[in-house]
Amino acid sequence: MRVPRALRTAGGVLSAAWLVFLLFASVTASWWLPYPVDAQDPAHTLAGPSSSHWLGTDELGRDAASRIAAGSWISVGPALLAVIVAFGIGIPLALAAAEHGRWAEHGFSRFAELLLALPSIVILLAFVGAVGVHPWAIMTVLGVLLSAPVYRIFLGQAQSLRTRLYVDAARVNGVSSLRVNLRHVLPAMATTIAVQAAQLFAISVLIEAGLAFMGFGPSVPSPSWGGLIAAASQHVYDDPWLMVPTGVVLALTVIAANGLADAVAGGREREAVPARHRKPRTIVRAASAGPHDAGGMLLDVRDLTVAVGGPDGPALVTGVSFALPPGTVLGLVGESGCGKTMTARALPGLLPEGVEVTGGSVWFAGRDSADRDLAGLPDNELRAIRGREIAVISQEPMVALDPMFSVGYQLTQPIRRFRGVGRAEARRIAAELLGQVGIVDAGRMLRSYPHQLSGGMAQRVCIALALTGSPKLLIADEPTTALDVTVQAEILSLLRALVRTTGLSVIIVSHDPGVVADLCDEVAVMYAGQVVESGTVAEVLGQPAHPYTAALLAANPHVAEGLPVPERLPSIPGTVPAPPDWPAGCRFASRCSLATAECAAPVPATPVHGAGTVRCVHPLSSPAELPVPHPVERGVPS
Amino acid sequence: MLTYLARRLAFAVTTVLAASVVSFLLVHASSGSPGAITAGAGATPAQVAAENHRLGWDQPLVTQYLTWLGHAASGNFGVSLIDGHDIWSDLTARLPVTASIAVFATLLSGVFGVLIGVAAAVRGGLADRSVTVGSGVALSLPQFWIGILLVYLIAIKAHLLPATGYVAFSASPGQYLQSLALPVITLTITGTAIIARTTRTGMISALRQEHIRTLHALGTPPWRIRYVHALRFAAAPVVSVLGIQFIALFGGSVVIEQLFALPGLGQAAQNAIGTNDFPAVQGVVVIATVVVVITNLVLDLVLGAIDPRVRTA
Repeated sequence: MRVPRALRTAGGVLSAAWLVFLLFASVTASWWLPYPVDAQDPAHTLAGPSSSHWLGTDELGRDAASRIAAGSWISVGPALLAVIVAFGIGIPLALAAAEHGRWAEHGFSRFAELLLALPSIVILLAFVGAVGVHPWAIMTVLGVLLSAPVYRIFLGQAQSLRTRLYVDAARVNGVSSLRVNLRHVLPAMATTIAVQAAQLFAISVLIEAGLAFMGFGPSVPSPSWGGLIAAASQHVYDDPWLMVPTGVVLALTVIAANGLADAVAGGREREAVPARHRKPRTIVRAASAGPHDAGGMLLDVRDLTVAVGGPDGPALVTGVSFALPPGTVLGLVGESGCGKTMTARALPGLLPEGVEVTGGSVWFAGRDSADRDLAGLPDNELRAIRGREIAVISQEPMVALDPMFSVGYQLTQPIRRFRGVGRAEARRIAAELLGQVGIVDAGRMLRSYPHQLSGGMAQRVCIALALTGSPKLLIADEPTTALDVTVQAEILSLLRALVRTTGLSVIIVSHDPGVVADLCDEVAVMYAGQVVESGTVAEVLGQPAHPYTAALLAANPHVAEGLPVPERLPSIPGTVPAPPDWPAGCRFASRCSLATAECAAPVPATPVHGAGTVRCVHPLSSPAELPVPHPVERGVPS
Repeated sequence: MLTYLARRLAFAVTTVLAASVVSFLLVHASSGSPGAITAGAGATPAQVAAENHRLGWDQPLVTQYLTWLGHAASGNFGVSLIDGHDIWSDLTARLPVTASIAVFATLLSGVFGVLIGVAAAVRGGLADRSVTVGSGVALSLPQFWIGILLVYLIAIKAHLLPATGYVAFSASPGQYLQSLALPVITLTITGTAIIARTTRTGMISALRQEHIRTLHALGTPPWRIRYVHALRFAAAPVVSVLGIQFIALFGGSVVIEQLFALPGLGQAAQNAIGTNDFPAVQGVVVIATVVVVITNLVLDLVLGAIDPRVRTA
């Protein structure tokens, strides 16, 4: 039998065990209790724990352990009822509101808001005043009050579930709405229901204990935990121990309920944050480290290796080398998962948590110091380079700007830091930069907030932001992928204009050879963490030497003018292997129609196209040899 | 903006009216009657009926409610059935006690909770685990239990503070603070735990946002990223929870007021209910609801100031 996920953690098992034990103990209490609830032992009043009274006795010599056990059902049961009532009202209303659209939702939601705005404890007390002390009835009212937050939580869930395709499909197929809810919507909400129920139960137990503490609990002879603590508090001067056992049992119950909620939720929310480590980065210098400068280039990357979790972890990028002359545009091109983004982000040290540069060098010709190897720099020295010398624009402009601050603040803040100017001057420069990226009404833009911008506008602002430090190198990671086609063209022509007017060097990461052909001088084609071919755009894209480059070009939907549009685009059979599956030899061999036995041995990079390189045993020498551009027929296994 | 404000105000008034109707109905659903209380124990049914007639209890419900509403609108909540005191002046005299506790506990919970939550999210490791476990334990213990423990440790064992009682600020500012110390500490322990958890979760998710990466790429100093950008992003839920806590303290400090013998609104509620003092019950419910409604309005304004998406949407 499959063990529920919640019971696969120690916390989950312990929590469940405690709650089961409690339930069992409360139901069977009358059979095994060492003393009847009201048995008085005048010889041992207010005694501490002893062999005859494990948890001590109260002022009448009644056994504390027996009283706690006897009171567990009346302390926990009504709280359980409150949870059942809250869900019994909240969830059907949420499902109905999600199903019947705006008007039902409007009505229910107003009602829920009203319930939420009422002071619940005072209302509960007023109810106690009206009907008297009846724990089950009081907790039912609490359940009604708690149904409002339950409704709130599940309305959102139910609405999003109802728009899911499979729920839609069931409805279109004529499945009744009750069945849709029971079969598809409710099961999908099961985890949230379990988590919320456990947390609500914990809250209800505490509220019920509080009421009992005030004297609004079960009547005196049958003790509930809150009442026991209230009684114990009368003896805090002469027997403080008395309040400990009940408090601990109560706390354990609440902890167990919350623990169960955590376990059901998969513990993701309470996941511990790893300690921030300040250990120095360990760079394994490649043997062919070469000269200690960038050799006249703006950037000279040699044998760069990036791995997860240090030198022994799986590598994402291996032995990547390329150089970028000042004032040129380099394209890093390849399919998704080829290591393009990791390579680009490694340069200014912006790798995600847990990923690091483990080998090679990144020589960079900075503005005002000698050439430096960025791969060996500590984070605080890299920080001085970021923005000022190397800037980055990201894939998703819509989330790249801080939603809490105006565009003006986000631009002037780095301008003041980079250029040491005052507020007014920074605002003038910001407006100038916005003009430079083609924003007409700069004054209005400075007052705008990111959520008011379109994707294209946001990307223009991001580019302006990247220009605040007048960097020498701009790294653009798929800068147009998230944008509409027409906006893509605008952003590309903006980048082209910036390169022409400012002499900026750019590394552009793209999966689209068309973008590269459009914008770049040089190109490096990446495949499975390696540069498989590099050179000038004209050479690499005009006369590809690596079969992968040729296949990538053939799969590109840009059709040269004058040629007929193919009926079906050729695609490259197979997928990029994941890092752990990289073979020792050519990593493209498994997908290459020209592969031979020699391809199983490691393939070094060899010179081609003058200054370029290629990693292939049998490089193509003329376009006639293109191996892949026959369309893959539908249904034919590739 | 104006329509938004008008809508919020309309909702606020509706809420207060709803609360007054609910409490009115609860009072009338009760088995007792005000006449039975004013006539005293041992009164004959005729005497009780006469008292009820004098108090208007025999009139139709709607008439009674509208009469009450008319008086309440002008600040007249009637007189207590028990001691004949004016309910409005009694409750307003109690307001400073409850307000002092609620304001101090909310402010301290906010300050400590945010500091601890940020430290847990930023430092991680052992600090983070101890905050998670510590707040978990603090939230599992009933507040009154923590309160009794503090009374035992600080008042009884160490003799540092008075165990119970209240001294007005005007009488002696020093003793006023001393008398508030234990209840405020008790409430702050739980409050800090909740705020620390909310802050921690908010900071962790804020530091993973894409716009934080943009700031890193611009070489922004880490303190600015954490305490200006990430903290502001995490602030909205923290402020919401603080508001909810303030409401809970105002309406729900009944237990704490009883434990520390503080003459606040909670004690008034408990007394009114314990003695079936019908007009007082209704007065307490309405005052508590007004506080909730005002807090929610202020909360909306603060959230708008923090998050431009709320403000300009």
